[in-house]
Amino acid sequence: MKLEKQKEYKVPTAIHGLTATADGGKLYAACLDGQVLEVDAESGKTEEFEGRHGSFASGCVLLPDGKTLITSGYDGMILWHDTATRKCWRRVKAHSFWSWKMALSPDGRYIASVSGQYLAGGLKYEPLPSPEPCVRVFDTASGEVLRDYHHLPPVLSVAFSPDSRHVAAGNMMGGMRVWNLDTPGQDPVADFTSPDFTSWGTTKSHHYCGGIYDLVFSPDGGTLVACGMGPMVDPMAGNGKMTWQRWDWKASPAKQMDKIKDSDQGSGLMESVAFAPGGAHFVMAGRQAQGTWNAAVFDAVQGGLTCSLDTKCRVTKALFTGTEGTIWLAGAQGQPNRENGKWRDYGRLLRCRFEA
Amino acid sequence: MKPGDCTPNEHTIHRRRFLQGMGTAGMASLVTSWAGLFSSPAFAEQMKKQQKRCIMLWLCGAPSQFETWDPKPGRPSSGPFGSIPTKIPGVHFSSLMPKCASIADKLCVVRSMKTTQPEHFLAITLLQQGNPQRAGFTRPTLGSVVGHALGQVDTRLPNFILLDPIPGGNEFQSFKAGNWAGWLGAEYGPVRLGGDYTQLAAGNDGLTPADREEREGLRKFFAKKYENDRKSTAARSQNAAFERVRGLMACADLFDLEKLPVGDRLRYGPGSFGLNTLQARHLVENGCPFVMVANGMSWDNHVFQHEIHQMLVPEMDRIVHQLITDLEERGMLDNTLVVAMGEFGRTPWMNAARGRDHYPNAWSLMMAGGGLKRGVVVGETDEDGVDVVSKPHSEQNLFATIFTALGLDPYAEYDLPGMPTFHRVEDRAPAISEILA
Repeated sequence: MKLEKQKEYKVPTAIHGLTATADGGKLYAACLDGQVLEVDAESGKTEEFEGRHGSFASGCVLLPDGKTLITSGYDGMILWHDTATRKCWRRVKAHSFWSWKMALSPDGRYIASVSGQYLAGGLKYEPLPSPEPCVRVFDTASGEVLRDYHHLPPVLSVAFSPDSRHVAAGNMMGGMRVWNLDTPGQDPVADFTSPDFTSWGTTKSHHYCGGIYDLVFSPDGGTLVACGMGPMVDPMAGNGKMTWQRWDWKASPAKQMDKIKDSDQGSGLMESVAFAPGGAHFVMAGRQAQGTWNAAVFDAVQGGLTCSLDTKCRVTKALFTGTEGTIWLAGAQGQPNRENGKWRDYGRLLRCRFEA
Repeated sequence: MKPGDCTPNEHTIHRRRFLQGMGTAGMASLVTSWAGLFSSPAFAEQMKKQQKRCIMLWLCGAPSQFETWDPKPGRPSSGPFGSIPTKIPGVHFSSLMPKCASIADKLCVVRSMKTTQPEHFLAITLLQQGNPQRAGFTRPTLGSVVGHALGQVDTRLPNFILLDPIPGGNEFQSFKAGNWAGWLGAEYGPVRLGGDYTQLAAGNDGLTPADREEREGLRKFFAKKYENDRKSTAARSQNAAFERVRGLMACADLFDLEKLPVGDRLRYGPGSFGLNTLQARHLVENGCPFVMVANGMSWDNHVFQHEIHQMLVPEMDRIVHQLITDLEERGMLDNTLVVAMGEFGRTPWMNAARGRDHYPNAWSLMMAGGGLKRGVVVGETDEDGVDVVSKPHSEQNLFATIFTALGLDPYAEYDLPGMPTFHRVEDRAPAISEILA
């Protein structure tokens, strides 16, 4: 098995959200400068969308018809764009704080956006509960809020089940909740916590950091894979173990089924996890602090690492597209110093080939 | 100026204070002896109110100027937070600081700090000592100098208190008593408190107060004899430390947060940084001239810069607002200097770990209160915050400003037999005159 980089494109700033057309010919990127970009997959040529976010753009999904792109941002806004004209035609204030991440239900009917500011709520900096729901589900057609769910902030990650009936969200404390969209009310159908994704500094700083940075349901919907970084003594070090865990969320209580093997772990924050078409493998990617890789493909059954890649840049989003064996990795290098009054491009978009 | 001495100017200030205190005391009661004068509650209260003092909020690890006092909205260096207008026309703070924005007309912000040390320990040393180091000599830190110059003799309350809930959490761990007080001597080092410190008053030896006093007299006699016979610096330090602990135990109630009003604790808390700041207010109110509040090293956000600053900055915003407002309401702001600063700033560019790194080239700090004008922003950085475009200010300019604001001669010379000539601030570096009252 092999994972190798084929192409690398540069964009002005880091990419936080990425999606693609069904045929993989066009990519859409949500960038740190608030811009939304269309990128030609073959040439790397970019076009800017007219509507932009007032802060970091953080999420980016394309409706199944390919005509509507929806983006979210740290301005708390969700924007609907026409992909043909690249004009924004709807703006919805979703949260009073950031939209950390957004997900699209496979049937295209819903988007879910997660939010929540971490404010000190106790002597030991336990997060203060949010006055507004941190998980909001919207109707993609009308833009209206369909469901509001509470979760302890900040809520960093969100995913829909393959049947579009459940939504899951993970927070900084390693708490995961799953709600049934068909059932009215606030109560989650699953509510469990893994201590392996968060840090509370015993040296340097007394507060939490880390958390579950991405979530994905397995193709059969029965399990949930979470990724992030293991605990650190010094939360400023950024050197917790690269981590994924797989949970049977339908069990009562939820049960951890598998996790990354010790021998496969480097250290660094893992920010994205995605299943390959067919579900035999999944990719996890992020930033490498120590180790030999920052993007790796794992066997979905055995859990072992099958192949990996050091992209030499932070990866924020891994995306399988319609083209078989193609994985797009989006992210950034460190922002270069300003030189002669100019800032150089530091966003990166990598086309990689995965051969099973 | 010998260790333990003070400058002629300070004598003048103290005499004035004394006379003011005497007048007040005289009105309140008949003063028949010096002892009576000093034990007069009215005089003591007046002295407390008149005394210059300083609270330093030490933002260890170094906060980002972009997410606090010098935002650059819309620029590549800006980060995700916007800016908001303040009480000073044309001046914006980070949108994370609405409370400070609402009292900006009481604050002084320096946006033109430019220092030389990009490494924590060296920068902390520099910004605590206010002058570059000279090999072989240990300069006292700000708290030791202020405690030495403004502290009361024979007070039970220490003259320099450091409140830090994470004693092992920052580079201060490497500072021993001598590092803090340098050539002033260990007795001018800080009394450090932190964590769940609540047991000051607990006497568990089973002795009566009379027995304990007798035992202490004996201990004191032999300890002093040992120190004198051997001319031992170590013994002197140990005796000084012991005396301070005894003093501390005698005023243990001042350190009991539970004895402060619940409303105050709610306004400052719930985090330990806020509660320690409340404690600092309480301590200066009761006569301590210098209290420094640290909170580990939580600002050093090489990773998760924005994810952590979105929690830390609102907490600082609330704490600074509460402190300044409280001091003003209690009539203490004119005599209390508040400084909120770290050891440098953060880079205009983000690293690959979504963090900002150390940046001494152009950074900001905030001061308010005693000896300063109100509602002043000094200095300017370029559109991206990469460099200072107005006159840069160094640690020496800062310390000259602090000393002047506290009524101390910034250029006073230390009398150190056998040592080179040292001043509180070397090179006669000027104070930041734009903010001095």
